Amino acid sequence: MTSPLKVLTANDLAGGQVVFLSETGWSDRYADAWIFEDPAAADAALDAARAATLTLADPYLIDVAAVDGLPVPTSYRERIRALGPTIHPDMGPQAEGGALVEALQQAKGAARSSGRLGLIRRK
Amino acid sequence: MFQYDAIDAAMVADRNAEFRDQVSRRLSGELTEDQFKPLRLMNGLYLQLHSYMLRVAIPYGALSSAKMRALAHVARRWDRGYGHFTTRQNIQFHWIKLSDTPDVLDYLATAELHAIQTSGNCIRNTTSDPFAGAAAEEVDDPRVWSEVIRQWSTFHPEFTYLPRKFKIAVTASPRDRTAARAHDIGLVLRRNREGRLGFEVIVGGGMGRTPYIGATIREHLPAEHLLSYLTAILRVYNRFGRRDNLYKARIKILVASLGAAEFARLADEAWEAMDRPRADLPDVELARIRASFGLVDFRTLPPRSERFEAAKGDKAFARFARNNIVPHKVPGYGIVQVSLKGIGEVPGDCTADQMEALADLAERYGHGEIRVTHEQNLVLPHVALDDAPAVHAGLAAVGLATPNINLVSDMIACPGLDYCALANARAIPIAQAISETFADPDRAEQVGELKIKISGCINACGHHHVGHIGILGVDKKGEEYYQLTLGGSGAEDAAIGHVLGPALSADRVADAIDKLVDVYLAIRQPQERFLDTYRRTGVGPFKAAVYQDAHQA
Ligand code: SF4
Repeated sequence: MTSPLKVLTANDLAGGQVVFLSETGWSDRYADAWIFEDPAAADAALDAARAATLTLADPYLIDVAAVDGLPVPTSYRERIRALGPTIHPDMGPQAEGGALVEALQQAKGAARSSGRLGLIRRK
Repeated sequence: MFQYDAIDAAMVADRNAEFRDQVSRRLSGELTEDQFKPLRLMNGLYLQLHSYMLRVAIPYGALSSAKMRALAHVARRWDRGYGHFTTRQNIQFHWIKLSDTPDVLDYLATAELHAIQTSGNCIRNTTSDPFAGAAAEEVDDPRVWSEVIRQWSTFHPEFTYLPRKFKIAVTASPRDRTAARAHDIGLVLRRNREGRLGFEVIVGGGMGRTPYIGATIREHLPAEHLLSYLTAILRVYNRFGRRDNLYKARIKILVASLGAAEFARLADEAWEAMDRPRADLPDVELARIRASFGLVDFRTLPPRSERFEAAKGDKAFARFARNNIVPHKVPGYGIVQVSLKGIGEVPGDCTADQMEALADLAERYGHGEIRVTHEQNLVLPHVALDDAPAVHAGLAAVGLATPNINLVSDMIACPGLDYCALANARAIPIAQAISETFADPDRAEQVGELKIKISGCINACGHHHVGHIGILGVDKKGEEYYQLTLGGSGAEDAAIGHVLGPALSADRVADAIDKLVDVYLAIRQPQERFLDTYRRTGVGPFKAAVYQDAHQA
């Protein structure tokens, strides 16, 4: 039994927009998010984010499942947060479209892993 | 409109300067998020699901054309071109940046707008009748008393850290358009047999996870004692209200646990003990506040407008007139209700262009006044019937002429999970699906008055407990489900709805509403609204219709 994959998220302090920790810092795009397979590494990143109070508000970890090789947040709340308001498809990160955005939009209920994550985006 | 004075302006300017300093100290790292969050909230700025949200107060729901234009400017310059009118008669901007907020607040102040009393455990914006000053049956102008409460409660040192937030409603009409009985305190102004003004004082109503209809603790409090008696109630609450449990901290829990009679006794005791003449508002001050509202210079018109009657030859206008325009106290005038519930639209949302069009229409035809209703609609309270066709045309040009006030598609919906960080489920897409189901205006009129209210979580900002049909979003094993309640009302016949049965998945809700309506149409008696039929028959026939498939399955 492997532990769930994690993504570290927060809101940008000055702008308020949802951000995700990527390999090169904080990004507005969920597609850039760094996928943690190691819970200890995820916790360490969360601690670091909590210390970075100058640029971030409310950092926390979310659970992610590998669905058809793509990292999909387990809860629909986190999927909506990663996409933007569902009633305004032109607003938020969902506006740029793409396979990952579609995977999030199509996931139903509590997403469950359906195998391994695609290779590129693992840490 | 109430005219603010230099003291009001100075208070807001001070507050804005203070918050500007706090924001800059947060952004420079001097303040931590934990230190800053309560300060941010005290200034109406919440961090929601996708961004910050700024809630701007609209005291007792009264706006001028100038204020509406200022809101439009905020929507366009600092947000994404729209705002959301709430069930508290306020407006929320969903995409504000923290770094812009001091500028936004300074700009709002130029139009006498602010975000004070929109958050925190203080006395919040007072709810009042959107028809104030226009309704024929009102005994006095409830805005005067709402303004008295605003001045008394703003930054009131004794009541700034109550156990929980505190909401007061004031109405002066027998038809309650404020949901007074669902407020912490509801005040219904009446004249007694001697002709003296007094308030029925209702305490302990509220929604949330334990909903209550308030209890009357005074039938007729002489109006001049309003502030001392409110002080007495708040003192009892401040002293005995629970602070150990967020969910038991509202006054409704205290009133329910003590019993209304005992609560009234404690309030009376506190009232007797205080220096009442000092607490009450002097007559001259009341007169000053009353005078600050000014007078609307109504014209003398015949009660029947030939232009209005002739315009009914147009079917669209006739329908609008039937559903959205109600009689005014002054002959030849009407109260025009503007629905923010276009078919398939987001309940309560209004674009900057629409706000500006409304401001123009109000200025040209409506004495510059606009009201916000707790049902997330707008009102032009003073329109000459002669001008109603022009107003209708102006509204239609910006998509605001939906003729559905009080009909099935005139729903309340909170922002739900599309915006709100506390939500369990989305509310807006459910409202959109229902309104598409009832898009046919003939059918909607045939159904008649039906109030559907939707909340995305048990906090009940969408007032689902008091909907004729209430819809509550719940999270059931990681999926969005919806619990239906029937038989609630927020009006003078206030009641809490009863749960219909097991929660439904999102795709079944609109269909279930359709079935409920079909049952009603089949069994209603003449003149019965949906609510009346439900009250007569009970839940049986309705429950059978919605869950019959489930039993067959
Ligand atoms: S009812 Fe719940 S979901 Fe809706 S606005 Fe209130 S807190 Fe948010």
